[in-house]
Amino acid sequence: MANLTQSTASRLARRIGDRGPVREFLMFALAGELYGLELTRIKEILSPPPITTVPRAPRNVVGVCSVRGLLVTVLDLRRTLHVEERPLTRRGRILLGAADSGEVIGLLVDEVRHVVRLAANEIEPAASALGGDVSEFVLGIGRPAGEFLILLDLPSVVSG
Amino acid sequence: MAELSDKAREEFFSEAQEIIETLSRNLLSLDSTIKAGISDPSLINEAFRAVHTLKGLAGLFGAARLGALSHRLEDVLDDLRLGRINLGQDVLDVLFGAVEAYTRILQAEKSDSDEELDVEQLFVDLERIGAGATERESPVADYELDPGLLAVLTEYEEHRLRANIELQMQLYRLRVQFDLSTIDKVLEEMKERAKRHGEIITYLPTGEATSADTIELDLLMASRDDLATLIGSLGADNVVIEEIPRRARRSHPATQPPRRPTSLGRPDSVGLQPELERAGLEQAASLRSLTQTVRVDIRKLDHLMNIVGELAIVRSAFGRVAEKLRGEGQRKLAAELQRLHRNFDRRLGEMQDGILEVRMVPLGQVFDRLARVVRQISREVGKEIRLVITGAETEIDKLIVEELSDPLMHMIRNAIDHGIEAGQGRVEVGKPLAGTIALNAFQKGNHVMIEVEDDGRGIDLSKLTEKAISLGKLARSEAEEMSRDEMLALIFLPGLSTRESADDVSGRGVGMDIVKTNISKLGGVIDVHSESGIGTKMTITLPITLAIVSALLIQAGQHTLAIPLSSVSEAIAFDEAAVRSVDGREVITLRGQTLPLCRLDRLMALESSPDSASRRRFVVVAALGQRRLGLVVDFLFGQEDIVIKPLGKSLSGVRGFAGATELGDQRVGLVLDAAGLIEEVLAGAEAPRRLERASG
Repeated sequence: MANLTQSTASRLARRIGDRGPVREFLMFALAGELYGLELTRIKEILSPPPITTVPRAPRNVVGVCSVRGLLVTVLDLRRTLHVEERPLTRRGRILLGAADSGEVIGLLVDEVRHVVRLAANEIEPAASALGGDVSEFVLGIGRPAGEFLILLDLPSVVSG
Repeated sequence: MAELSDKAREEFFSEAQEIIETLSRNLLSLDSTIKAGISDPSLINEAFRAVHTLKGLAGLFGAARLGALSHRLEDVLDDLRLGRINLGQDVLDVLFGAVEAYTRILQAEKSDSDEELDVEQLFVDLERIGAGATERESPVADYELDPGLLAVLTEYEEHRLRANIELQMQLYRLRVQFDLSTIDKVLEEMKERAKRHGEIITYLPTGEATSADTIELDLLMASRDDLATLIGSLGADNVVIEEIPRRARRSHPATQPPRRPTSLGRPDSVGLQPELERAGLEQAASLRSLTQTVRVDIRKLDHLMNIVGELAIVRSAFGRVAEKLRGEGQRKLAAELQRLHRNFDRRLGEMQDGILEVRMVPLGQVFDRLARVVRQISREVGKEIRLVITGAETEIDKLIVEELSDPLMHMIRNAIDHGIEAGQGRVEVGKPLAGTIALNAFQKGNHVMIEVEDDGRGIDLSKLTEKAISLGKLARSEAEEMSRDEMLALIFLPGLSTRESADDVSGRGVGMDIVKTNISKLGGVIDVHSESGIGTKMTITLPITLAIVSALLIQAGQHTLAIPLSSVSEAIAFDEAAVRSVDGREVITLRGQTLPLCRLDRLMALESSPDSASRRRFVVVAALGQRRLGLVVDFLFGQEDIVIKPLGKSLSGVRGFAGATELGDQRVGLVLDAAGLIEEVLAGAEAPRRLERASG
């Protein structure tokens, strides 16, 4: 995986050229939309291991799983973002990221695409793009090469 | 603080902490010996050595504040052990103050804070005590002592000599021939035997010997016994005992032995140079004993325990492979693997026990700290308190010990402040003037019980309920229906204090609810018993360790869950027909006693397994302290040792689970929090839960 993202990143870098400070986002699909999370926030991408549901847990929590001995709480991004729920396919993945508290959180997504590099002028701030009443999870809208990417703020996603 | 590796820093802090604890223990013993009217010079010596070691350590690590305090304290202790200062309660107060200051300094150093610590007053007090040091006229001159011997006395020996003379002891000279090859041993034995009669103050070779293999020593001894007794007890062929006669009192006393200049004037440097003349050879001995122990970060032990947990999974896989081989007809290979499996199993068990043993520390660690608190509070509030500790050697997980000191401190503060009556009040009801607080610890199965008991006035139930009603936590109609135990449970409500005014000691009644929360975080429960006029006893029941537990694996709905065996008393078959409903709650009768039931699948809203209706079900009886609860489950898988991992912060609001554990096939199983469940289900009927709902 690391090799893939590296080569993808460098390919993109060549295409984009030098246009000021550039941030890298991991692009993934969820209920037919494309989303991005800042790459530095993601520690690992996993095929979902067996997940144990936790009774009485908040609705957005799928359950807990063990990643090489580490207990990880898995969140369903669909439930957090209030999008249509569908069962996972074999392309489903878990993105591991760290919450501000240091807790390692898994985010369940439909499919991981690739890494995109976005210069500052390719990111529309959420408020100006979507009006005032935006979900606190959305960082902004990215528009790399004709695509429409909803950029999410990991800390608010995992704490919400 | 100087740049140091984290490891060295850790070592420094834990060693300093240990020394301070030793010092505190010594002071407490001194306190009790003084109260008993005895003086034990060895205790002051030990305290002196502790501070001396700490000073060296502080120098080594560039901890200037620690060094400065040690330096001054050392001077005072030196004056004490040489008898220049009399040890009284006022001096002890200052010394205990120094222990507190040490603790604060250590904390500041630990967090790398340069904040100004208020130790000025302490330094002034130490200075004041030091200034009171007096030279005393030597009564030694009254004895016909060999001037050669007097000239070589150390300052400490001279102090002991003087102290003994002041106590009206008679002095004796023992001339003893020792065999050179066994002198160390024989001399020690001799000192030991002499202790029954008094004290050997010093010894000096006479320079005369009967053969090349022997050496002759003159022992100077002080004793309250007469010559005949001593000859009877210590006399032998090679021992000649003589009484040293008092000489007629002369008009001018002998010249005083030179005294070292008072050290308070010395600059505040923190020397690395060990001052061997002061600390003596005993210092070397104490340094050597330190090398016998290794300090280990508890997280490393957790890591090892995790590995053991993973090995246990490998072990189960072995077992499965062996079964498979047998199934395929490979009997010989299967038997061989089975044998290896058993061997592996046994060794793994030993390893697990070994790691657990390393984590165990005696409760005495926290009890010592409490003894200090008791002394301090009892002096603050002017109540005389006798603290009786039993079972300090009871061992419990290091992590639990760390978390125990705050709750126990609250409980003891409450006992002294609310429980024990003021002196006159005690005398009037025919109790001894000094109140007694007993701190008892003992092991009971997989649990450690800690009791905090006082012989005070007991909890006033009517005042307690009135207070709860006036705070709006309880309706009067509810109060009238409450049982005694339910009323006692009111003390765990937030914001309740039975004393009219809040004060320094117990604060504003914030104590007991926090105590209860902290104890249940450790998987423990707390029970209260109180008799009006006789006293109050609080009993804490705690698991021995948090690291690895034996658990019963069960199925409820489609969930595989673990229940720590320590909280399971038995499991029985469930008979739906035997269920009775009392006040809307399901109960069964077990051996003549009513057992409240909890259907786990309903409580947790678990998806039921398809065949659960037809299958035979079970009741797991969870018991903690006095309380019991029957958990209705679908299936019992059996017993397994598990490592409990806490659920993440995002699940911290989920009640009923103590954590999760790996089940072996990559799956994770949730671990039920038996204490929490019992609390949740039973409290539904008890007062506090009802109140929380009413007030929230």
